[in-house]
Amino acid sequence: MPHRTAALVGAAIVLCLASGCTDNPSGSADGTGAKVKVSSTDDACTLSATTAASGSLVFSVTNDGAKPTEFYLLGSDGADVVGEVENIGPGVTRSLTVQAEKGTYTTMCKPGMVGKGIRAPFKVTDT
Amino acid sequence: MLANYLIGLREGLEAALVVCILVAYLVKTERRDLLPRIWVGVAIAVSISVAFGALLTYGPKGLSFEAQEIIGGTLSIIAVAFVTWMIFWMSRTARSLKGELEARLDLAAGAGAGALVLVAMLAVGREGLETALFLWAAAQATGSTSQPLLGALLGLGSAVVLGVLIYRGAVKLDLGKFFTWTGGFLVLVAAGVLAYGIHDLQEGGVLPGVNSLAFDFSAQIPPSSWYATVLRGTINFTPATTWLQALVWTLYVVPVLSLFISSVRRPSPAPAPTPAPQLHGGS
Repeated sequence: MPHRTAALVGAAIVLCLASGCTDNPSGSADGTGAKVKVSSTDDACTLSATTAASGSLVFSVTNDGAKPTEFYLLGSDGADVVGEVENIGPGVTRSLTVQAEKGTYTTMCKPGMVGKGIRAPFKVTDT
Repeated sequence: MLANYLIGLREGLEAALVVCILVAYLVKTERRDLLPRIWVGVAIAVSISVAFGALLTYGPKGLSFEAQEIIGGTLSIIAVAFVTWMIFWMSRTARSLKGELEARLDLAAGAGAGALVLVAMLAVGREGLETALFLWAAAQATGSTSQPLLGALLGLGSAVVLGVLIYRGAVKLDLGKFFTWTGGFLVLVAAGVLAYGIHDLQEGGVLPGVNSLAFDFSAQIPPSSWYATVLRGTINFTPATTWLQALVWTLYVVPVLSLFISSVRRPSPAPAPTPAPQLHGGS
């Protein structure tokens, strides 16, 4: 069984490296990859910045409220999901990493996971 | 703390239910010798999830949103295929049990033994990465407050306790009832997992229609409530469900449940044609 475990972990890592891995903000040596801090409370969604340079973009979302929350990056139409992170319990910080191209987007916190969420425009500029 | 507790409970229930029914089944059919396979499957899933989650949380690489949704969605749909197989494997064995073909039982168990590891692994592992990422995030918060981690772990613990209680209840049923109820319940569980996987793929942009909702009961059944947690953790009912999810759920439940009911009702254990597990819709 250890062989099988090793093989599966190996496969998972290969899969990760081949497809969907992105640089962690803390670990990227060249310092690229903008980081935006988000504070989600039960009635507010506060971002440390409303613009960022294109490329790897990390939203570090902290739930400062009492309800569980979700954070979305939506397209300019406010419908297409560019990225989402769920299961952010109170007191917890989770990251959403997206490859953002130049354009306008909508950020959204969804405290209590219901309703239209608290929305705001977000701009990604050329690097 | 309650909110983190409910997230832990929900994620835990999703994994615990299938495993507990599987264990109850093996105990019920005197196949305790196969139990280690279940534990091996669970152990593999937990260790991969925890390790992969730690690597993504603390290592130099994170996982893109799309990749995480595609992993969760694909594993869920594969899990449905295996759980469906398991339902019919169980009902087939049930029929040969009611009859007298002891040898047939051994044959069926032998054929299924390797797959048992996989079923247990997929049941726990399909959402294992998301759960691990949530747990590691809660652990990271421990510097300032230990409430999130404590809540999450208590939630997972409660899910295990509930699983054990369900197991105890299930093994007390007589054999015929046991197969009918656990099988029927598993069809609903699998259908929920399938709809969940579809939603992951919709969010990941692989499938369309993430915003076309068939219904939205979020106002009546708040997703952060305990009853929404239980509904979500057991049959994966989401208060806001897309048309594609509803369609695929129906396309799965109607034929699989009819096949299952007819296979349970069939009285004779004669070498009946084995109903092939079917996976409808989806991919």
